[in-house]
Amino acid sequence: MVEDEVNLLVIVVDVNPIWWGQQAQREPQFTLSKCLDAVMVMGNSHMAMTRTNRLAVIASHCQDSHFLYPSKSWRTGDSGGDDASSSGDGKYELLAVANNLIAEEIRNVMSRSKGNSTDTLLAGSLAKALCCILSMETASSFVIYDVIKAAEDCARQYMNFMNVIFAAQKQNILIDACVLDSESGLLQQACDITGGLYLKIPQRVALAQYLLWVFLPDSEQRSQLVLPPPAHVDYRAACFCHRNLIEIGYVCSVCLSIFCNFSPICTTCETAFKIQLPQMVKPKKKKLKQTM
Amino acid sequence: MDEEPERAKRWEGGYERTWEVLKEDESGSLKATVEEILYQSKRKRVIESHGQVRLGMMRHLFVVIDCSRSMEDQDLKPNRLTSTLKLMEAFIDGYFDQNPISQVGVITTKNKRAEKLTDLAGNPKKHIAALKKAVDTVCVGEPSLYNSLNLAIQTLKHMPGHTSREILIILSSLTTCDPANIYEMTKTLKSLNVRVSIIGLSAEVRVCTVLTRETGGSYHVILDESHFKELLTLHVKPPPTSSSSECSLIRMGFPQHTIGSLTDQDAKPSFSMSHLDSSSGLSLGGYFCPQCHSNYTELPVECKVCGLTLVSAPHLARSFHHLFPLEAFIESPVEELQGNGFCQACQGELKDKSIFTCPSCRSVFCVECDLFIHDSLHCCPCCIHSQTAS
Repeated sequence: MVEDEVNLLVIVVDVNPIWWGQQAQREPQFTLSKCLDAVMVMGNSHMAMTRTNRLAVIASHCQDSHFLYPSKSWRTGDSGGDDASSSGDGKYELLAVANNLIAEEIRNVMSRSKGNSTDTLLAGSLAKALCCILSMETASSFVIYDVIKAAEDCARQYMNFMNVIFAAQKQNILIDACVLDSESGLLQQACDITGGLYLKIPQRVALAQYLLWVFLPDSEQRSQLVLPPPAHVDYRAACFCHRNLIEIGYVCSVCLSIFCNFSPICTTCETAFKIQLPQMVKPKKKKLKQTM
Repeated sequence: MDEEPERAKRWEGGYERTWEVLKEDESGSLKATVEEILYQSKRKRVIESHGQVRLGMMRHLFVVIDCSRSMEDQDLKPNRLTSTLKLMEAFIDGYFDQNPISQVGVITTKNKRAEKLTDLAGNPKKHIAALKKAVDTVCVGEPSLYNSLNLAIQTLKHMPGHTSREILIILSSLTTCDPANIYEMTKTLKSLNVRVSIIGLSAEVRVCTVLTRETGGSYHVILDESHFKELLTLHVKPPPTSSSSECSLIRMGFPQHTIGSLTDQDAKPSFSMSHLDSSSGLSLGGYFCPQCHSNYTELPVECKVCGLTLVSAPHLARSFHHLFPLEAFIESPVEELQGNGFCQACQGELKDKSIFTCPSCRSVFCVECDLFIHDSLHCCPCCIHSQTAS
C-alpha cells in the first residue's frame, strides 16, 4: 500500500568552521548559508513529494553533532514558534517550520563553536543518526542518508566509521555522499558497501541542482534513471607500520593487523609467530643446482 | 573417561511452581510483571564479552545435517527438515557477516552413510543455493555419526594450524549406526584439535554428551523453534581458541576492483577463474590477483592458480569489533539521574525504569539504544566524539 510507505531522508551536513571560513575567502559566492539554502531546497522537495515523507537534518561539527531538524523541543510537543510559523505567503506550513528551525539551530551551533580541533566528527554524527532513526521509525520502508562533506577525512576515525557502515548495511540504510572538496576514500567505501551514490561536485555553486538531480530520487526510481557511474573504490588495505597502501601483505591470525613485511613478532598483540621451515630450505637447494 | 559427576536431571530436582513467577499488583493487572519479563529477555541478549581472551577469527566449520527418517517428524512446522534448512540459511548469512574470512561446508547423513553437500568455501551463495535444493531430499534410514565425522576430518586435518576447526552437528535421531568404535573417533578428534558441538532436536543422547565434553564443544537440546534459532546464534560468534592452536602470519592479497568499459583501450577481456565451469563468458572488470593476475568476480576467495588468499580491507574490518569489544554499560535506576532526561544517542526522553551509562564518557542512554549499540554498532556514539577531539 502506497500510503503506509514512509521514506525518511537524513541529511548530514559538514559544518567544519575552519574549512567554511577558508571557503568564504576563496570563493565568496558559495558560503555556508548558500549551502544550507540548497539543503533546505532539497529537504522541502522531499517533504513536498509525498505526505508521508519525513526529514531529518544533522550538522556535523568538530566537537559534536547537532540535530538541526527535528529539534528536541519540537519532539516533546513544545511548539514555541507557533505564531512565527504561519508565514503570510501561503507556504506549506511544515516547510516553513522546517526552514525556520534549521536557520535558527545552525545559528546556535555556529555561535557556540570553540576549541581548536580541525577534524569533522562524521562517524559520530552517523552513529547518533542511526540511534535516532531507530527510535523514531519502527515501520519505515526506505531510509537514505545524504552526507555533504567539506573537509578531509580523519584517519583515526577509520574503525568507528567502518562499524557505523556495517550497522547501516544491516538495517538496509543507503548512504549517499556529495563531496565538495577532496575525494574521500571512507565515503567511497561507505557508498559502495551500502549501495548508495558517491559524487564529487565539479561546481559548488550548483549544489542545489546536483542535490535535486542525483540524490533526491529514492532507490526504486534510481534504477530507471541515468546517474553518474560508480566511482572506482580503492579497497587496498593500509599496513599498520607505515600506513602505505599495499597489495600483498601479512595478516596476524590473532589480531588481524596487516603488515607489509614479515616480522617474527606482531607489534599489536605481541604474539611470537612460528616461522615455517620449508621456506628457508628451498633457496639453499637452488644455489647448489646453479653451481653444478 | 567419565570423571565429571553427572548433573541432576530435571525430573530429579524439586517441583517448580512456575505460576508463582507472575504476581499481580494492587489493581489485579499483570502488566508490570509482563513488562518485567520482556525487559529481562531484552537484557539477556547483551551477553558479556569474553574480555581479554583470544578468539579464533579464521574458522573452518563443517555443518552436519541429519537427514534420517526422524527428520520428517512434524513437531517443527512444516517438518523438521524444512525448518532446519531455513534456519541454516539464516545461520550462514549471519556466520559470514560476523566471520568474513572463514569457511563453511555442509554434510548430510542418512541411510547409514554421509555425503558432502558443499565443500569448504568462503562464499555464502553456493551454500544457500545447495540448502535450498536440499529441501526435496527424501529422509530415509538412520544417520551415522562416525561416517559424518570421518568425512569432515578428511578435509579438516589438512587445514593450517592457526585456524579453528569446528564441526556442528544437528542430530534429530536418537540412534546412530557406526562401522567402528565412536570413542576411538573421539580420541582422534581430540588429537586433531577439532571442536564438535551438537544441537539435538529430540532428546539428550549420552554419546553426544561424551563427544562434546571431550572435544570442548557444547551440547544443547532444543525446546522449540525460537530456542533452535537462539542456539544457532550462539555458534555464530567466534569461539575462544584453545591454547594449542598456532599463531602465524598469513600472506594475503588485497586486489583492486577494476570496472572495465568498452571505451577503455587497455581493457582486456578475461575469464573469471571461479566460474570456469559455468558459461558466464568473458568480462572486462573484476578483481585481479596481485600475484598472478587471474580474474575473480567476488571476494574473499583463494586464488586457484597461485594459492594466495584474496580479501578486501572491509572484510577484515568486520572482525575488528570482536578484537576491541565494547564494555557493558552501567545500569542504574532512572531516579538517580540529575539534569535533563534525554538519551544522548536518540535524543528521546528517558521513560524506561533504568538508564545506562558509558563508563568512559559518562553519557546516558536508554534501553533500546543500549541494545542497538551493543548488538550492531559496537562503539559508543559519544566516545567517538571525545576520542577525536583533542
